[in-house]
Amino acid sequence: METSQQRVINANEVFSKAREDALISSAIQGDKAAYRALYDAHIGRVYALCLRLAGDRGLAEDATQEVFIQLWSKLKNYKGQSQFSTWLHSVTANVTISYIRKQRGWFQRMMNIETSSAMNAEAEAPTSDVDLESLVLRLPERARMVFVLHAIEGYRHEEVAEMLDMAVGSSKAQFHRAKQLLKTWMGYDDE
Amino acid sequence: MTMNSFEQQLQAKINELPDTVNPEKDLWRGIDRGIAAEEIASLDGANKEPTKLHWVAMAASVVLVSVLWVFVPSVLEPQSGKLEGYALVESLSKQQSEQLSGLLASYESSEPVTENWEQQLAELEDAAQAIKLVLKEDPSNPALLQMLQQVYNQQIALIEQVHAPKWQQI
Repeated sequence: METSQQRVINANEVFSKAREDALISSAIQGDKAAYRALYDAHIGRVYALCLRLAGDRGLAEDATQEVFIQLWSKLKNYKGQSQFSTWLHSVTANVTISYIRKQRGWFQRMMNIETSSAMNAEAEAPTSDVDLESLVLRLPERARMVFVLHAIEGYRHEEVAEMLDMAVGSSKAQFHRAKQLLKTWMGYDDE
Repeated sequence: MTMNSFEQQLQAKINELPDTVNPEKDLWRGIDRGIAAEEIASLDGANKEPTKLHWVAMAASVVLVSVLWVFVPSVLEPQSGKLEGYALVESLSKQQSEQLSGLLASYESSEPVTENWEQQLAELEDAAQAIKLVLKEDPSNPALLQMLQQVYNQQIALIEQVHAPKWQQI
């Protein structure tokens, strides 16, 4: 039996969904204030994903701006087939990956060089005070992207491979690499 | 410590990660400006003859392909005459320079979609210069010539993309 508290929660959800739908419709019609309201509602989630994928605050800020600039013209493609936040999440991941690729230097792209402080990181003793957020940002680029998409965002390796334009086996290998580095940094013996 | 405890701690830490992280600075102003630039660019494009830029880009591509068609085989087969050695590299560079000038002139009235495209273009130019430096020592190296050609193609693609990106057409 539905309690009064559950009814309040459901009513809030329905209201939020209706408000969000109205904001989306208005933004598609060119209402910048409505789009700003959508931005305010979702900036935290979008930036969190951008930051974890980019591993750098400056790059993440630029990527976040790129996401919302592109979203303005892509918004009309949202047909309501899934939750808006889910759809936005997918747009964010794809735009950010593409943006990061474009920003990388030519030689780095050609030679597939990865910049990371990973190799210089020191292991810590196992503790519950581990700051996983910081450790994820220290991972090498491809390992970080795979770890974020698979372990944190829940995409399957097949989906990750397609998003990152790599083989499924490479996605699994990069995930293993990421876990090994995290294991070392978190102070666990290499067994 | 066992692998299991690591996996457990890792999963627990993943579950604890916040869903939202707020940026340290306000990003809206840049977004607002970017959207405005997009709208001006799309209006500007709509007011022009629809195929003008495409014709210029196509003509430039045809010129480049023709140049490469004529000159690259002569490097792969040095005995075939025409331009050889570093003269070929210089000729390719001159053609590229002319083509870039033409492209940039054709996009002069278009607003670029990114602010740092000139930096990216300069970066590609640095790459081309680095390759040319090595080509001075080994001017008939087909792999290096291909790399140079790739860089030149990327320069053209970059200019086209920042002035008329594909996602604008979505």
